[in-house]
Order: sequence, then structure tokens, then C-alpha cells
Amino acid sequence: MSFDFGRVALFIFFFVVPVIGIALGLRSPAMRSRIPIITAFIAGMIPILSLYIPKGFLSGPQGMSPRLDRWLIIVAGFALLLGIVNVVQNNSRRIARRDAGWAFSVVLLAGLLVTGSLGIWGAVSGEGIGFRADGSTTPFKWIEDRFFQPLQSTIFSLLAFFMASAAFRAFRARNTEATILLVAAGLVMAGRVPLFELLAAPFPALQPSAASVSLFLGGLTEWIMNIPNGAAQSGIIIGDALGAASMAIRVILGIERGYLGLGAGE
Amino acid sequence: MAKRPSAMDRFLEWTLNLDRRWIYLLVAVSVITPIVVPIGLPVTTTSSTRSAFEFVETLKPGDVAWLSFDYGPSSAPENDPMAEAFLRQCFLKKVRVVVIALYPLGGLGLANNVLAKITAEFPNLVYGEDYVNLGYKDGAAAVMRRLGDNIADAFPTDVNGRPIGEFPILRGIHDIKQVKVVFTAATGLIGEYWITQVHAQFGTPVIIGPTAVSAPKYYAFLNAGQLVGMLGGMKGAAEYEKLLRAKYPELDRFYGGTRLFTATKGMDGQTVLHTVILLLILLGNIAYLRSRARRRVTDVGGGRGPAGTRP
Amino acid sequence: MTETFPGIGIWISALLTLFAFSFLYKDNPFFRFAESLFAGVSLGYYVGIVLNQTLKPNLIEPLTTNFAGNWDLLMAGGIGLLLYMRYVPKIGWVSRYALAIYVAYYIGVEFTRRIHGEVLPQLSRTVVPLFPWTGATLESLVFVIGVYSVLVYFFFSKEQNRVTRKIARVGIWFLMISFGAAFGFTVMGRIALLIGRLNFLILDWLYPALGI
Repeated sequence: MSFDFGRVALFIFFFVVPVIGIALGLRSPAMRSRIPIITAFIAGMIPILSLYIPKGFLSGPQGMSPRLDRWLIIVAGFALLLGIVNVVQNNSRRIARRDAGWAFSVVLLAGLLVTGSLGIWGAVSGEGIGFRADGSTTPFKWIEDRFFQPLQSTIFSLLAFFMASAAFRAFRARNTEATILLVAAGLVMAGRVPLFELLAAPFPALQPSAASVSLFLGGLTEWIMNIPNGAAQSGIIIGDALGAASMAIRVILGIERGYLGLGAGE
Repeated sequence: MAKRPSAMDRFLEWTLNLDRRWIYLLVAVSVITPIVVPIGLPVTTTSSTRSAFEFVETLKPGDVAWLSFDYGPSSAPENDPMAEAFLRQCFLKKVRVVVIALYPLGGLGLANNVLAKITAEFPNLVYGEDYVNLGYKDGAAAVMRRLGDNIADAFPTDVNGRPIGEFPILRGIHDIKQVKVVFTAATGLIGEYWITQVHAQFGTPVIIGPTAVSAPKYYAFLNAGQLVGMLGGMKGAAEYEKLLRAKYPELDRFYGGTRLFTATKGMDGQTVLHTVILLLILLGNIAYLRSRARRRVTDVGGGRGPAGTRP
Repeated sequence: MTETFPGIGIWISALLTLFAFSFLYKDNPFFRFAESLFAGVSLGYYVGIVLNQTLKPNLIEPLTTNFAGNWDLLMAGGIGLLLYMRYVPKIGWVSRYALAIYVAYYIGVEFTRRIHGEVLPQLSRTVVPLFPWTGATLESLVFVIGVYSVLVYFFFSKEQNRVTRKIARVGIWFLMISFGAAFGFTVMGRIALLIGRLNFLILDWLYPALGI
């Protein structure tokens, strides 16, 4: 077994320290919040320092930072599945109590069980979850193509209807700002599609003029997107990034602890 | 004395109080009509798409490009045509392509489907030499950090579990800095990570194909020189298809068929529904402004003498 | 795309699509069935991709094929499993360690990404020549005014005075243009999804079913 510095350091910071913390926490509830904050500080500082300290123990191929990156790819996978436990608990409870709509909970759990089982089978059998070597689809892929993709696509496509209805009912030029918004929206919507060519479709003689108008609107749209929109988005990005960076410092330094389920004084 | 609403006002009032399901029906008809009766409206290109296309045109045979499927079925009609067009262009130029997926909700399935569809059009391609599918990985930000040092750290195997050392395409490509361009077809934040993390830290040129919803934000990155090019939504995909067909007329057999879905054909429906929605917004605002004007006249008439005089 | 009679898979996809669209008329059991099925299948999908694409190649196989060279990955697996302790009532607090590592790591990555990849390049875009006045420099002037007036608008730490209020108002105008443009693009994005779905229903299902 290899014991390079990166591995040993991570072992100490993210195994030994938490184990000590858990042992202390079992005896004293006050320790249940302090040591996780120290762990967070170390976990947050490693990726930052690795960019500024080009030393092998930190950012070299066997350093702490690359090793931690590999770990967190794995941890992200576990985190993605975290919500499943909650969903299974809630829906099982609804079925057991025969609450309103419990039959749909059965449908949900059945979908989860079948698809999840096929995914597990793909891993265990080695045939995977995509195409087999002979080009045929695995059962998991068939469920993905016939159930998952159509359902996700359709549910999101409902937004087109709601958006059209909302635009008709609510999009009003109530004041100066709303009017600016409305005019910009109208220009961009008209400039991104060959709207005038469509309107002139029954009148071939008008097509050249329609094309010219479309070309002008298209150019105007591009200018709006590049300059006023680009400027506003740049300002938003800078402001948002500075806010996020300051929040990151607060979390790493332990000032912000809400994500651990701790209040300000804990 | 209150002014009686005119016939026009009564009509506008009636349309504003229409059951929203009639609006839904109008939307559906507007989209279905150009599918059933294709119109074939022209597509004009923009500089951001042309930049992307021309950059890929500068790649040489044997160069390695990177295609990341960072979207799911919820935006497939916009992003699929982008990915397909990019793959076709690369394969025609004999540029080798590494495909990955970083979007958890459906990215892998779409990567598999699009790659299967396009590679079937180029039967001489060899998996592992001309292209490879490394599959999906969780933790996009951590993955990108590893790609900057060692691709194998993040992707030790391909999508089917074969060690990546087996594939000739990746011999000589140790990290993302050696890749000529990253094309990310994206919905959401992952596309942004390629720009602000991979390009910023490793300098790899990035082309982004965002959904139309997130495209406005990327103009800021384009202006700052952080992007080589951008395909904004279905329109961007249609522009890329137009440029591709102009340069490679042999692709007409894929873009010209009546049953194949392409972004160019989708633009017909976009145009019709844009027109309808603009008319609806106009109608709604005419009704609003007229009712506001009527209320002002009523207020003035009720509180004082005739307009402009004191009681 | 085939013009032969659609197979069972296409029929299932088409029926589920119609069930989901039925919500437009009103909420009904068919829609709720489709919605519940979607939720369940999505979660099962997560299980499949995480297990096959991340845990197996990045954790399980390295440990089983070369434990000596990859023993540290045990701790990654341990941290991942520790996240699930939140569901165990008496010892839920131990999951704080896993959460601390997971959240703080990604926040650390985010910090450098934001500064290095967003703030610095975006600010550098505003440091451009504004003279002599040509088309390009006037555009740059408008751009710079836009960026800084928007930043002034978003400065909420201190009450704005008469001057900054006027500058913030200019910022609001730029924001309104941007939001209007964003609305136009959003319309396009949502319509595209609908086009894709109806294209499938008509050309992939209905036409072949009717023999067209």
C-alpha cells in the first residue's frame, strides 16, 4: 500500500479528525458543531490553495488537491441519490396511511423500483445501461428512451402554453421601465425569426422588402444583445460573483453555518 | 358622465377574459401547422455562430475535439441539432471527437443516441480511434479540475467500462489542455463551468451551445473573449446547419428529408408562434391602454366639470 | 425515422406524452399518473447512472482491482455513506462531517472559479479605449456606462444619495433592456421544446400509425 503525503494528509484530515470529532460528540453535544467547521475549513482551503501553491504535496499529481478532486466526484454521486431516501419514506408513509392520492405513490415507487433495479442489474451483470456490444439496447436504456425522455420533454414543453397565456394576460406597458422591457422583448422576438418574410409569404412582390426589414431587425437585435444586454449581464455576473465569493469565504471560515443545520450561535 | 365602451373595447374586453384553454389551442395550432405544412422560411446567420463554425473549420485532420452533453431531454430539441451538426462537421474534417456527459438528468442517454445516429452516417469511423464515448460523471466542477491535469483521473474507463488506455484516440492526450476545442451543448450552470473554470484555468478554447433561455447571459462571456463562439438556442442550431450545408452540400440528404427533425425546420414553428405571441401581447396592451384612457376620462368627468374646467 | 407502423415503444411514448398534455385541459388522473411515473423513473434513472458511471468505475473497480494503490478511495466511499446518516434519528448529526467536506470543497472551487473566471475577465472587458470617438469606441462607452450603472444599482450596503440614485436609474434601464431581451429568448426556448414534442407526436407516431 502506498502512503504518499497527499493520501496520508487526507486520511488524517478527513478520517482521523472526524472520527475523533464523532467520539467527542457522542460524549458532549457542544463538540458536534465545532469540529465539522474545522473540517469544512480544510476542505474549502485545499482547492483554493492548490492554485496558488504549486508544490507537489498540494497540487502535484499525487498531491492532496487532485486526490480530493477524485474523492469528491465519488461523493457527488452519493449526494445525488440522497433525496431518494426522503422520497421513499414519504411515499411509503402515504401508502401505509392510505392518504389522498396514495395510488400515485404506488406508481412512483414502482417506477423507481423497476428503473433502479435495471440500473443495478446493468452494473452487476456488466452489460451497462446503454447499448450492448451488438448494438441492441439494454432494458434500462429502453425505459430511458420510452418513459424518461418523453415524460421529461413533455412536462417541460407545457411551459410554452403557460408562457403564451401569461404574456397575453400580464405583459403590460404600465410604466417607463415596463415599456422599455416590452419594446426590447418585442424587438428581439421579431429580430430572431424571419417574421416579415412569413407575413409577406402570400405576397411575393413584398418578399425583398420583408427580407430587408428582417435583416435590419436582425442587426438591431444583435446590437441589443451585445451592447445593452451584454453590459447588464456583465454587471450582474460581476455582482453575483463577488457575492458568491464573499459567501464562500463566510462558509469556509465558519461564519455561515446554516448548511450544517446550525444556527448563528451554535 | 361615463363614456360607453365602444364595440372595439367590448371586443378587447372579451378577448382578455377568454378562457386560457383557447390560448393553449391557438398555441398548439400555431406549432402544428408548419409541421404538417412546412413553410421553409430562410435562416440568417449571426456573428457568434459564424465564429464558432469558422473556428472548427480551422481544425486539422487528427486534431482532437471534445463534445460535452450538458443537457437533458428537457432541452433536446434545441441542443440535439447543435451536437449533431458539430459531430458531422468534425467527422467530415476527420477531426477526432471525445464525447462525455456531465448533466445528470438524461445527458448520457442523449449522448448515446446522438452518437449512434451520427456515427451510423459515417460507416468508416472506428470507435476508439476516430471517436470515443467516455460516459457520464458526477460532480462537474471536480471533474473539470481533474481534466486539467489527467483525464484518466476523472474518466478511468469509457461508457462501457473499458480502460481508456486501450483507445488510440487518447494516446498523446493526457489532459484537456491538449484538446483543440471544447463544444458544450448546455442547459444550466455546467456550460458556464467550461468557460469560467476550464478556459480560465487551462486556456482551452470553448464553444457553447446554450438553450435560448440561458443564451443572453453568454453574450457577456463572448464579449470578454472567453468564448470562441456561441449557438443561441434553436436559432443558433439552425444557423450552424445552414453554414454546414453551404460548406458541405453532401449533408443535404440528412437535412432535406421531410421526416427528419432539424433546427431549420423547427424555425418555421418558432416564427409562426412568435408572430402569434407578439400579436397577443399587442392586443393585450391595446386593451390595457384603452381601458386606462377610459378610466382617466371617467375620473376627470366624475370629480370636476367637463375636462379642463373647475366646478 | 421509420414510416412503418410504430412499435410498442413509440406507442408508450406517445400515450405518456398525451397524458402529460392533458393537464392543459385540466388536472386529471392521467396527468397525475404520468407525473408520478416521471418522478419515480427519474429517481431510478439516477440510481442507474450513478452506479454504472461513477461508483463502479471510479470507486468499486479501483478498490477491487488495485486496493494497494487506491485504498484512500475507501474514505471517499465512507464520506458518501456518512451523508445518509442524516436519516438515522439519533445520530443524524454525524452527517455534518460529510456535508462539511462536500459543501466546503465545492464552495472552495466556486470561489476561485468566480474570481478567476468571472470577475477578472468581465472587469477587463470594461478597460477599453473610449477615445477617439468612432463607432466602436462609442459602443464601448455605452457598454462601460451599462456595466457600472448596473453595479451601482446592485450596491445595497449603503443608502443611495441623489447622484447614485440617478446612476442606478440608468442601470435599471439597462437591466430592463436585458430582461426584455431575455424574455424574447425565453419565449424561443420554450417554444422549441413544444416543437420537438409535437414533431414526435405527428411525424413519429401519428403519421406512421395512419400509414401516411
